[in-house]
Amino acid sequence: MNRSKLALDLATYLVFFAVILALPLFYDEFWLNRFAKYLVYGMLAVGISLSWGYAGVLNLGQGLFFGIGAYMMAMSLKLASATSLQQGADTPVPDFMLWNAEPGAKTDLCCINQGSFLWIPFQDQWFGIAMSIAMPVLVAGILGAIVFRQRISGVFVAIITLALVLLVRLLVIDAQPVTNGFNGLTDLGWFTILGFEFDPYVVETYYLVAGALILTLTGTRLLVETRAGLILQAIRDDQNRVRYLGHAVARYQVFFFCVSAAIAGFAGMLYTIAAEFTSPTFMDLAFSITMVVWAAVGGRASLIGACIGAILINTIEAEMSETEELVEAWKAIIGFIFVMVVLFLPRGLAGFAHDMTDLALRSLGLAERETGTAARDVPLPAREEA
Amino acid sequence: MAQAALTIDALGVSFGGFKAVDEVTMIVEEGELRVLLGANGAGKTTLMDLISGKTKSTAGRVHLYDHDITNLEEHRIARQGVGRKFQIPSVFRDLSVQENFEVASCQNRSVFANIGFGFGAARRSRIEEVLELTGLADDRHVNASSLSHGQTQWLELGMLVIQDPKVLLLDEPTAGMTQAETHKTAEIINSLAGRHSLLVVEHDMAFVRQIASHITVMHLGRLLAEGTIEEIESNPEVRSAYLGSQGIA
Amino acid sequence: MIEVIFIGLSLGSILLLVALGLAITYGAMGVINMAHGEMVMAGAYVTVATGIYLDLNIFFAIPLAFIATAVLGLLIERLVVRRLYHRLLDTLLATWGIAILMQQAVRLEFGLTFFGIHVEGLGAGLQRVDVPEVLGGTYDLLGAEINTYRSFIILVTLVLAALTWWLMYRTPIGTQVRAIIRNPQMAAACGIDVKRVNALTFAYGSGLAGVAGVMMSGFKTVFPDMGSSMVVDGFLVVVVGGVGSLFGAFAAAGMLGELNGIVASIYNDILARAVVFGVVIGIIVWRPQGLFSFKGR
Repeated sequence: MNRSKLALDLATYLVFFAVILALPLFYDEFWLNRFAKYLVYGMLAVGISLSWGYAGVLNLGQGLFFGIGAYMMAMSLKLASATSLQQGADTPVPDFMLWNAEPGAKTDLCCINQGSFLWIPFQDQWFGIAMSIAMPVLVAGILGAIVFRQRISGVFVAIITLALVLLVRLLVIDAQPVTNGFNGLTDLGWFTILGFEFDPYVVETYYLVAGALILTLTGTRLLVETRAGLILQAIRDDQNRVRYLGHAVARYQVFFFCVSAAIAGFAGMLYTIAAEFTSPTFMDLAFSITMVVWAAVGGRASLIGACIGAILINTIEAEMSETEELVEAWKAIIGFIFVMVVLFLPRGLAGFAHDMTDLALRSLGLAERETGTAARDVPLPAREEA
Repeated sequence: MAQAALTIDALGVSFGGFKAVDEVTMIVEEGELRVLLGANGAGKTTLMDLISGKTKSTAGRVHLYDHDITNLEEHRIARQGVGRKFQIPSVFRDLSVQENFEVASCQNRSVFANIGFGFGAARRSRIEEVLELTGLADDRHVNASSLSHGQTQWLELGMLVIQDPKVLLLDEPTAGMTQAETHKTAEIINSLAGRHSLLVVEHDMAFVRQIASHITVMHLGRLLAEGTIEEIESNPEVRSAYLGSQGIA
Repeated sequence: MIEVIFIGLSLGSILLLVALGLAITYGAMGVINMAHGEMVMAGAYVTVATGIYLDLNIFFAIPLAFIATAVLGLLIERLVVRRLYHRLLDTLLATWGIAILMQQAVRLEFGLTFFGIHVEGLGAGLQRVDVPEVLGGTYDLLGAEINTYRSFIILVTLVLAALTWWLMYRTPIGTQVRAIIRNPQMAAACGIDVKRVNALTFAYGSGLAGVAGVMMSGFKTVFPDMGSSMVVDGFLVVVVGGVGSLFGAFAAAGMLGELNGIVASIYNDILARAVVFGVVIGIIVWRPQGLFSFKGR
């Protein structure tokens, strides 16, 4: 890889990290809390980019893993809330369960209604944290094992993920006694580590999310630079060729799909901490597809491009939120850009930026006209698999 | 007597009654370079599909040395030591030449073994060797989609060389090549014989003369004849089959 | 019992109405039209407008909506969809983008809200359409109370399905469409103007969606988002039914509609929909090309 390009890549990452770490110098806690949520969206976009841009798997139901991660954390935080603890420090019971209690049942998680016992292990916050990541990975693993072994083609995988998120959303809504249905989980306690409470409107919470995003971005980028990442891109290019080289293609696809799910679950966990609620709306189809829109506009094959795209789109929307018409107009603009991206600019704005810097570097004599592009942050888009 | 690298025993596949390959029995010895001839539709590519796992056979067995590789999944057969080059060159068009070779050099046993950076000195020098051998050293950073047809063929061949399988199945390695390119390909292939066993499907008789010692002729899914070039050329059945079918190739 | 079956039929007929247009474009052009739901929405809004500005009822809205949405479909096909034939994934995404644009257009009343102008019948709020008296209420069938309007919907669906069948199998242009579904290159080689036929097909499919919208407006509230959930149900039916198979869409719609109805009567609506999604996933995993597809590999 060309040195100048590598240096530019590294610089982009460092500048981005510096900017998000410096934000608290300019904004108050109210805005920082909003930014924390946008950073979470950025994380979601990174997951989409990994799955779609690198592995060639379009996940139209990323909200599923996001939602699962969110609910897992929310369950722990709910049990830590003052209202739940009113039932007893060792026997917390969420308020909605009291309202949905089986008549004559004991006021304890074990038996207050059907399924409430599932909440018992969540009394330990670490369990909630672990499940936020483990559960989405488990679901992704099972789904991936079925779908990738059958060699189901790209568009049908996308449709399956779409149907799955809708399915689970309905199940969550239906299981009112255990999940509080439509209302979601609110009135959560604060995330607590080693005695420090993360009030969502405190700068430490912002740093928690920012740190997590930096970790995720760096880790994912390193992952795609490994040999496995290169093989993954080869799989995206020509699955069969990779098979004839002796690799178990499905395993790679499942692995990276699970990593993408883990990122989404992690994002869900952080969102719950920052937003103090979780709800079935996290699994709305429109939200899942919106994540894809962010990643596409930012640049699906660029982890940082997708990330910045998501953050910027949402920040601009927030800036416009004074006037309702402006927000709606902004959404229309993004819709338009999305159509343009699908038609003409598959590598998104990051791809466009990359081409521009290519041009600039060449005219400065710092790079030659070479076209190898894998293992850099903006590989070329996958061929249509349908 | 040399060991049998590839043993094909009464192998056959039937697609709804139509026998694309019918009771083919063949042994490729270790180090041998066997050429597979036959008109279009004779079943040569299908035979390769059966060996490499692309198509499931409905009869017979295939052994790689002592291992039964009949109807295993493609990647398992490849791991056992079978490499395949396709009629339409199959390379990674979105990656550079060097990256193509890098992928081919990756160990293929597990995902986790590849969660690591770099390729080590031994693999690096091997990749360099093959870049030289295929004449692609100057184009190492070029996108595979930008290569000429001949170069793409060599790229695929090079990937196979790096993969280092015990048996190589080459399907028309000189298709679409100029005379000069064909000559170079013959060099590469000849350098492989001996350490590897090769089964090569070809139409270009001049090329076949440059590389072959032993030839198998297929016709309508069946084995028609086997022997040296002279034996095949003077075989009356071969003559009538080719004269009769007029060779659409 | 009869009521349960009837509800199932009713649900199935609504599904089919939406799915018919989708099935044709999926089979003929390899296009998954996520904006199809917005065509339904457009049809519903035309009904609202017909009521407000022309003071005419649903019966008159049907041909108007058909024409309006057909023209809209023609426009979209020409500008966007034409470039993406047989790129299923890209059509899914691009048409989703168009769907967003259409929804926002209605919300922003085509930009007029910026000038402080409010057009009655448009905007982000809810609209309602009144059903003509002749279609209101219920009637008695074999002892069960059957909703008149739902019966009307079933009737309209059957008529449209029959019309579509007739067009596809008894007219020259229908033969052309079927030829294109089987093999577009050969169809072109035989002198069929593939581009023109595809454009008309897309327009027809959109027109059908418009009529579906008219039907919907009679019993659902009309608002900009109403199309989104429908299109998903619609194209799941089409995918399950199979590429290029009208009968498949018909059968799948009936099957899934009945399944929905039956499970809903045993448990509840929410679980019913969940079960339907589960079955759809199962079918796609087992047979991605759909139950009745006859398209070659």
